[in-house]
Amino acid sequence: MAFVTVRNLRKVYLLGKEKVVALKHIDLDIERGEICCILGTSGSGKSTLLNMLAGLEKPTKGDIIINGVNVAKMSEGKLASFRQETTGFIFQSYNLINQFNAIENVGMPLMFKGMSRSERDRKARQMLKLVGLGKRLGHRPNQMSGGQQQRVGIARAFVAKPKLVFADEPTGNLDTKTTDEVMRLMVRMCRKHNITLIIVTHDLEIARYTDRIVHIIDGEITSIENNESVCPVDDDITETV
Amino acid sequence: MRIFDMISICFRNLWRRKGRTMLTIIGVVIGSCAVIVMISLGLGMSKAMDGMLASWGDLTAVTIRGESGGMSDSSSNNNNNSNKPKLDDKALEMLAQIEHVENVIPKMEIDNSMLTIVTGRNDRYKLAYVSVVGVDFSKFDELGYAAEEGDLPNADDKNSSIAIGLQIPYLFTDTKKHGTAARIERQQLADGSYTKPFFEPLGADIMFNINNTKKQNADGTNQYGGRGYEHRLEVKTILKEDTMWETPYSIFIDIDLAKQLINEYNKLNNNKKAKEPEYTQIKLLCDDISSVEYVQKFVEDLGYSATSMAQVREQMQGELGIIQGVLGGLAAISLLVAAISITNTMIMSIYERTREIGVMKVLGCFIGNIRAIFLMEAGMIGLLGGIIGTLISYGISIVMNTFMAGGMSEMLGMGAGEGGGEVSIIPLWLVLLALAFSTVIGLISGYYPANRAVKISALEAIKNE
Repeated sequence: MAFVTVRNLRKVYLLGKEKVVALKHIDLDIERGEICCILGTSGSGKSTLLNMLAGLEKPTKGDIIINGVNVAKMSEGKLASFRQETTGFIFQSYNLINQFNAIENVGMPLMFKGMSRSERDRKARQMLKLVGLGKRLGHRPNQMSGGQQQRVGIARAFVAKPKLVFADEPTGNLDTKTTDEVMRLMVRMCRKHNITLIIVTHDLEIARYTDRIVHIIDGEITSIENNESVCPVDDDITETV
Repeated sequence: MRIFDMISICFRNLWRRKGRTMLTIIGVVIGSCAVIVMISLGLGMSKAMDGMLASWGDLTAVTIRGESGGMSDSSSNNNNNSNKPKLDDKALEMLAQIEHVENVIPKMEIDNSMLTIVTGRNDRYKLAYVSVVGVDFSKFDELGYAAEEGDLPNADDKNSSIAIGLQIPYLFTDTKKHGTAARIERQQLADGSYTKPFFEPLGADIMFNINNTKKQNADGTNQYGGRGYEHRLEVKTILKEDTMWETPYSIFIDIDLAKQLINEYNKLNNNKKAKEPEYTQIKLLCDDISSVEYVQKFVEDLGYSATSMAQVREQMQGELGIIQGVLGGLAAISLLVAAISITNTMIMSIYERTREIGVMKVLGCFIGNIRAIFLMEAGMIGLLGGIIGTLISYGISIVMNTFMAGGMSEMLGMGAGEGGGEVSIIPLWLVLLALAFSTVIGLISGYYPANRAVKISALEAIKNE
């Protein structure tokens, strides 16, 4: 079985009395360490698919098995533990806490795990140095540029050593140059630690960085193509920073 | 999540919205102030009431009354009383064994027709029909009487001394004079001192004569028993007036002497039916006010007729309870308003933090932790309000006690009582109760918002505005 296995996935929303089928029938396998892109226009159902993979929404039908457990049938409490242990999440609008500085933001997932302050600060500091923000440790989100904020977001997603990272339009709010930096950073961190990365985007440019592109239109996978990533496996992370 | 991290987040969030937090806390401050001050006033009233009752008599005492001294012999209804338990030494011993009874104080009043008391050269000054009370001289200090002049009697004085009330010397009549000249009233003079009686009372020799009711003088008074029926005693103490008005018109002798006098009287008058003299009154001192009711019930079940201040106190407490309830109710309303404002504040803050909560969930925060954080915030508002409220209440209490000193008993129309000095009393338990209560109010107010926070979907984090 693949690291991520999706079978017979279907999601129907009820808008008033009207049924809206967001995902018709999805079957998908993603291997460990794979950099995968789910590509589709808005309304294609790509975000719905991501929400369900991450356990944020329950499917109407079907199973999502990640690392051997069925996310679709998990309780809230189990999901929280699952997220702590297995997944990281990168948001389009960064979603950093404005009252927290960079170290505190990055340390949040570790705090939820119950790690001591000194321990998580140490790890957060390391992580921030790795994403090139070694000189911005004490800054708050509103004192940083979009690119810097997203780096903090990336550091936060990777700090707990997840096996799987979701990224929801991670470069949607960034300019081209920063997009390139952020994408390379994400991909290289995944490569280095054999982390699976699932990126949801409508941007073909983004897809170039990934190993596999899943095209999704109107709630169905139309094609899956393998891709020669612009960030090969042997790339060294320290170069980009 | 560690508890310290939750507390830290809770304080950060409160600090983030300082203005709103302060306003909400002020609401709690007002509410808890109202409650504390009202309760403290109630406690002040209670204390004033107890002080007043204490001035009427010992609150812990249960008083058992028996027959009037030594007369149980002569009356014809003797048999009717036979089912009533005796107030003798056996009874005394038994009563002392009752739970919660700390001390028993017996008294034996001598019927005022039994004795004639004389003093002065040739028995010039005479006193008849006076209240003579036998008490245990070895425990005289437990009666609660104070000496105006001389020392209180003790065990050594049993057969030699007496203690008299302030008015006693003025009750003597001069047998050599007639009309108003035969008596001196006790009156205060212009210089503040009092009129002097016929003789200097302290240290005076007083003769107790037992009356022979069978032989009468020409003027119709009883003859004395004569030799063998006389007792010469020295006045050792002049007692201060007590609040219960027990001392001023009484002569106190040792209880054993009282028994002896009654026995001698019965012998002299050939009273064959006479029994061993009984106590006329036994006072039971309880260990606490709260046990008075129990002791009184116990004693009454034994067949004695007993009185105590407990009934009066109970009734007054009932009335006081209504007043306290009304005051407390008013205060509770303001606290209720404060509670609602906490809920409101928390709901507002959850609306603002919807996204943040979503992010926390996506990052793997347990919903229990989220609930705990919000409950803590609400509880903290309550606790802080309670702390500030307590401090302000202390201030209010001090101000009231300063400017309304002694006013509580007057306010209640009770007249000046003792211990009515403090209008408002804030004991430590009230402080702790207030803090705990305001915290609990905060937690209850925060319960609904916290559950709302928990229900916020993790999807909120994904939504892009």
